[in-house]
Amino acid sequence: MNQSLFLFATIADAPIAVRASEVEAVVRLGGVVPVPLAPAHVRGLAALRSRVLTVIDMEARIFGKGGLDESASLAIVADIAAHSYGFLVDSVSDICLAPAGVQPVHGRIDPAWAPFVSGLVDYEGRSHLLVTLADFTAGAGALAA
Amino acid sequence: MDEILGEFIAETLETLEALSGEVVAWEANPADQSRLDAFFRFFHTVKGSCGFLNLPRFERLAHHAEDVLAAVRRGERQADPATVSAVLAVMDRIGALARALGDNATAPESPSPEADDDALLDTLLTSAGASLADETPHDHPANGRAGERAPRTIRLPLTLVDQLMNGMSDMVLARNDLGRRMREHAMDSDLESSFERLSANVAEMRDMISKTRMQRVDRLYASLPRMVRDLARELGKQATLELDGGEVEMDREMIEMVLDPLTHIVRNALDHGIEPPAQRRAAGKPDAGALHVVARQSGNQIVIEVRDDGAGLDCAALVEKAIATGLVTPVEAASMSDADKPNLIFHAGLSTATQVTSVSGRGVGMDVVRTNIEQIGGVISITSAPGCGTTIAMRVPLTLTIIPGLIVHGGGHVFAMPRSNVVELLHLTSAMVSIENVGGARIATIRGERHAFIDLEDVLQLDREKNTDEPRTLMVIRSPAGQPYVLGAQAVTSHEELVIRPASPVITASGAFAGMTLPDDGQPMLLLDAVGLAQIARLPLRDAGWHRPTPQAEVAPEPTIQALMFRERDGAHRLIPLTVVDRVEDLAAGQIAPCGTGAFARIEDRLVPALNAAPPVGAGLKSLRLHAGDEQLCYLVDDVLDIVDVPLALDAGLASGRLAGLVMVDDNPFEMLDPFALFAEARAQGALPGPAGPIRCLIPDAEDVWMRTILAPLLVQAGHEVCFGPPDPEDAAADLILCSEADADDMVQASAETIPVITLRPDALAPAGTSDTVYRYDRDRIFAAIAQVGQARISAQPGARSVA
Repeated sequence: MNQSLFLFATIADAPIAVRASEVEAVVRLGGVVPVPLAPAHVRGLAALRSRVLTVIDMEARIFGKGGLDESASLAIVADIAAHSYGFLVDSVSDICLAPAGVQPVHGRIDPAWAPFVSGLVDYEGRSHLLVTLADFTAGAGALAA
Repeated sequence: MDEILGEFIAETLETLEALSGEVVAWEANPADQSRLDAFFRFFHTVKGSCGFLNLPRFERLAHHAEDVLAAVRRGERQADPATVSAVLAVMDRIGALARALGDNATAPESPSPEADDDALLDTLLTSAGASLADETPHDHPANGRAGERAPRTIRLPLTLVDQLMNGMSDMVLARNDLGRRMREHAMDSDLESSFERLSANVAEMRDMISKTRMQRVDRLYASLPRMVRDLARELGKQATLELDGGEVEMDREMIEMVLDPLTHIVRNALDHGIEPPAQRRAAGKPDAGALHVVARQSGNQIVIEVRDDGAGLDCAALVEKAIATGLVTPVEAASMSDADKPNLIFHAGLSTATQVTSVSGRGVGMDVVRTNIEQIGGVISITSAPGCGTTIAMRVPLTLTIIPGLIVHGGGHVFAMPRSNVVELLHLTSAMVSIENVGGARIATIRGERHAFIDLEDVLQLDREKNTDEPRTLMVIRSPAGQPYVLGAQAVTSHEELVIRPASPVITASGAFAGMTLPDDGQPMLLLDAVGLAQIARLPLRDAGWHRPTPQAEVAPEPTIQALMFRERDGAHRLIPLTVVDRVEDLAAGQIAPCGTGAFARIEDRLVPALNAAPPVGAGLKSLRLHAGDEQLCYLVDDVLDIVDVPLALDAGLASGRLAGLVMVDDNPFEMLDPFALFAEARAQGALPGPAGPIRCLIPDAEDVWMRTILAPLLVQAGHEVCFGPPDPEDAAADLILCSEADADDMVQASAETIPVITLRPDALAPAGTSDTVYRYDRDRIFAAIAQVGQARISAQPGARSVA
């Protein structure tokens, strides 16, 4: 897979980029079944045909609380360590090549974002924060947040 | 075995086919290392597989070819054309044999006689360069025909099978969705019938695809014969292994999970169960122990049993060890049934093996086996008969992925609970249930059995559903690792076969969920983890398999003792602890000798103090001979009635006189005699012989009238023996010498100071200087002196007085 192919999306009004190699699909989820006793960023379970996705609210994971409202249903689907996940995003703009590749982060970014951002990707003249989906599956506290 | 054989043949032929392309290239360039390696691997695989398939002919061929190729690889031998063709000839022969075997698996007759193999091998080993061209065509015609009839199998990657399963599930969901939509709209009967047909096909397909995951238990058995043979040799034992039920099918994943426990159990059976031949002969068993492994399907479970005819488990040692390690208290151990005791072996750190061998007995093992089996939703049990053998049965579900489950509602959520964890379902309003709140802990009592009680919503921190009049449902949960407990939920509805899949780590982290499932309605559902819920609720998880009281025995039985019920001479019914009753005897009236306030019973020329002997003593009396170590007494009664079990603790303790208190027997109060008081009374009567039994008293002066007529009868009455005449130091027949002052000095000398001497004086006041004499009417002092002798005799070596 081409290393410079990225999926561009937004969460919490911030533009993000995800390596396309991590992404399996982008879907609009049906009902999400909540999971008791799970961390706040685990929205619940959703069925995608015969698969069951664990739905992760990335915004809640980043900021520890809040997150997207109940109606959010657009999700990036990815298989991580043999489990299927759906990562909720506000919107998805495109999947395309970013010839310039990954740039180092310039300037100070919000400390909440810091553990998740590994670089910047330029797309249509805007910088997008490069995130790794697998970082969001770990429980809160697993990463130094 | 057929399936394995079939696979072996298919695999062999497949590899041969793949290698056939290489043959030419290798002939062209015999030095090519990678090709050489490929051939080497082929022979090596064939050799390995033949080992346990018992195909010696294949093995021999492959073995020699492997040797030659190894030599080539080491550079000890040139891969000259003669060698190459010899190797190829062996390959062809293996192919021909494999086809022949596949053609007629039951009677493997080869197209070429076995003697031909020798010729082939000779050529191979000497590599004489002789052409084998005549040999190969001989085989080929057979190949063509047989090849078509060889069993046809293909091997698939497991992921593909899983994808098929997933695709099938998608199809089922789509069918259900379609069905729902069709019901919403007006039904067209044509459409309906074609949907029915589709639906039936889908169901059939699902069954078929589920079967692709199934494998015969033979696979599980494959390694056992070899292992048993090797292990028996190592242990110096003999054993025959019988395998049954190999045709039973199991989920292939399940086979993987069961393999290790089964291997372990078989090893244990061989190591600890089967005795060495000599010991078996002594026990009247054949030299070779019999190991029997049976698999069978029972409902949606597979039962795999391992039986041996060995020594059986040493339950006593096991219980002892369990007590020593604090696993059970002695009281618990005493109340364990014989069937429960062998199950102790499944606890960590318990092994009856007195010695750690290289095979087993490290105290780890059976607990791990149990854990493994329980992890896959199975149950393991053991029965053992001393001297006859042990049977261990593993019950595992048919498949890991489909389990029967209950649908549980609570707090607006829907969960699944494995059916196997639920013992019973009840409504909270049921008359059999009572809930109490004790110090913050809630206890549900169901038919007299108490359980910890938790609510699903509380454990999962959910809000309870309001506005519902439905009574809540209680589930009695039995989890593999803990005490049964009661889980309350809003409702438990249907019972479904659920396809379980693993949940992601963020979900299982809480411990409450074991997995997830996607039922046919397409709404994901979490599978509750019975053990995890109990842990979250902090229920005690002490393993309590045998503490679970049976419903009949909801009140723990009090310790009881046996008591003898008898009729007193005044007609009252009383009890006496059976342990103090030595025997019951018939006494004739003449045997009772009243003596002042007390009495003696003359039994076998001995006088035994008798209680209750007040006249009139009629005929037909019975005597309870009570014993307490070396003290005895007779308790006269009218008759003996019964032996009953009574509680060790008296219902009313009112120790007074001879009575210890009241006990209830079948709702009637009975007085219980107090043996302590009885013996004290007999002793107070001054009538019991000393603890050492009769003392042999010697009265040297037989002419002394007082001694003869007054003292001697007193001693005899007290149960001692009296003899007369001068002492004889050589024959120490006497324990004690009683003499007058006049004889005292002689006696002390004559007895050589080995026998105590009591000197009796006629005057109450001792004359000055003779303080070690005893006044002859001081009865207490005389008997005290005699008792002292008895004590001394007890503390001396028993052999020292054996002369009598």
